[in-house]
Amino acid sequence: MNNGFPWKRAVLALLVAVVLAAGCSKKQTVRTEGGPGSAPGDSAASAPPPGGEMKEAPITEGQVPPAGRAAKAAEAGVAVTEEKPSRFPDVLFDFDKADLTEAGKKICQGVAESVRRTPKAKVLIEGHCDERGTAEYNLALGERRATAVRNYLVSLGVPKEALGTVSFGKERPLDPGHTEEAWAKNRRAHFVLK
Amino acid sequence: MRRPKGFAAALALLVGFLLASPAFPILYIDINASGGKRMPIAAANFIVASGDPSLTRSVPQILESDLVLTDLFDIVPQSSHMEAVTLAHFAGTPLSFPAWKVIGAEAVVIGRVDVRGDQVSLEMRLYDATQGTLMAGKRYSGTHRQIPSMVHRFANEIVHAFTGVRGIFGTEIAFSARPERGKGKEIYMVGMDGQNLRKVTDNRSFNLFPRWSPDGQWLAYTSYRTGVPLIYLRNVATGAEREVIRFGNTKSTGGFSPDGQWLYAAVSQEGDSDIYRVRLTGGDAQKVVGGWGLDVSPVPAPDGRRIVFVSDRGGSPQVYVKTLGEPEERRISQGSGYATSPSWSPAGNRIAYTARIEGKFAIFTVAPDGSDLRQVTGATDADCEDPSFSPDGRYLVYTYRKRGYSDLKIISSDGRRERTLATGLSDMGSAAWSPR
Repeated sequence: MNNGFPWKRAVLALLVAVVLAAGCSKKQTVRTEGGPGSAPGDSAASAPPPGGEMKEAPITEGQVPPAGRAAKAAEAGVAVTEEKPSRFPDVLFDFDKADLTEAGKKICQGVAESVRRTPKAKVLIEGHCDERGTAEYNLALGERRATAVRNYLVSLGVPKEALGTVSFGKERPLDPGHTEEAWAKNRRAHFVLK
Repeated sequence: MRRPKGFAAALALLVGFLLASPAFPILYIDINASGGKRMPIAAANFIVASGDPSLTRSVPQILESDLVLTDLFDIVPQSSHMEAVTLAHFAGTPLSFPAWKVIGAEAVVIGRVDVRGDQVSLEMRLYDATQGTLMAGKRYSGTHRQIPSMVHRFANEIVHAFTGVRGIFGTEIAFSARPERGKGKEIYMVGMDGQNLRKVTDNRSFNLFPRWSPDGQWLAYTSYRTGVPLIYLRNVATGAEREVIRFGNTKSTGGFSPDGQWLYAAVSQEGDSDIYRVRLTGGDAQKVVGGWGLDVSPVPAPDGRRIVFVSDRGGSPQVYVKTLGEPEERRISQGSGYATSPSWSPAGNRIAYTARIEGKFAIFTVAPDGSDLRQVTGATDADCEDPSFSPDGRYLVYTYRKRGYSDLKIISSDGRRERTLATGLSDMGSAAWSPR
């Protein structure tokens, strides 16, 4: 203080510099990044780069979900959304069941006889469900229905190789209604002759 | 000794800065306290240094809509703002915080936009109006159409600054629905703010059960595009796809393991559906749940050690929890009805599922040991199904169906607040909320 060096001014300058530096480096932001709620493995966009001014967070095409990018041009779909007509009636089932009723067995007997008369025939058995319940569960239930029909046809002497199964779950109702009557029609196995 | 006026001011600023620099964020808002106090926040008009002047309000409006969705903030309307933000405020000049406090704002967001051709630079700062301190600041750059993404990211910073938990803005919900014309089903996506609804698949067959990889880069889904249900893995950004799980007959997508290494699925063989997991690099498959009964809808827990799934082994579909490698499979849904579609909360402490009550489906949550059952949706004339937790666990997205009419809705996990996210498509289902 007594050697003529302007201490007061130097301290003030230093303080101002510290404050400015602190203000520029935005240390608060850095601190919040490391808090207990911060997401591990967060993308580089929010990771603080060392030093520098306000964090540069480059947003590139790769890091951002593609907004509005249309799916690839219509992929080759197969017409699975339209029911192929059958010369056999559908086998119907009770709610959440895959057991064959007497009426269902009669229909299967007709199918078995017809397949036996045309040795090269192949039959796809589609399992269907009504709209109630989860799509995943109904998909498995439809497969169980189709398999129950296939197993009965095999027991009647139809070669297993002539039979295929697929489930459509509740995706392709025969009757689009929302009544007990519509549901009863939609719990079924449908035969497609190939 | 004559003290320069600026000295005290600088010292006060320095002290204020040091006090406001905690090692951990101060938790201003407890997000678990339902119906708690909301934080009044003001988003000033942004400075448009170059570019379309209308950005001055349209950009902060995106931020305001995000913050409103959280139920954590009240927006102090722009019409009441007293201080005009200038470029100087981005160059060291402090805001007049009393002018924000007096209109009720406890936090202020300022921003500046620089547009050069299609390139946009967007700087946003969050200030605590009481302490006059910077709580968060970021500068983003990208293309013009990425402005909403930049704002969503900063909104997440704001939520984090106040709660210690990152926000969920910019996340998306994938689901299946029937297109306006046609009988098939396609996979769709919509932003969690209800914006940017779009088709992901377009193959006019049945496309079902979308599930997100933990890094959000991939969607696994089930498609009939070859005539039978097969499971595909699709890169969300590029649309590139490959088939996974090449055995069995009818199959449906389950969830990814938390490390992203395995995809779970239900696979039917000989009419019996069992649960498998397939390693996505290499392709080896393991049976996880077998035996008699339809076993479907597997979802791994966030700890990767347990799975929740649906089985009808007891006579009707019910929800079960199993620790991998252990024989016990414990039923956690109650009653004799019909319980399906489980979703694990991100913290692993709750499981949401759909169960039928008085002829209609409603959403419930339960602890993984089957205790503490709570009903979330209360509609008595509609079916509420397919719940999926938000990445912060505060919300559930679900499908609301009433006679063929369907909505995608979001409800707070305590069931108190609800909003419609998407409407107008029929038969929406299998909602899946993306990770952050």
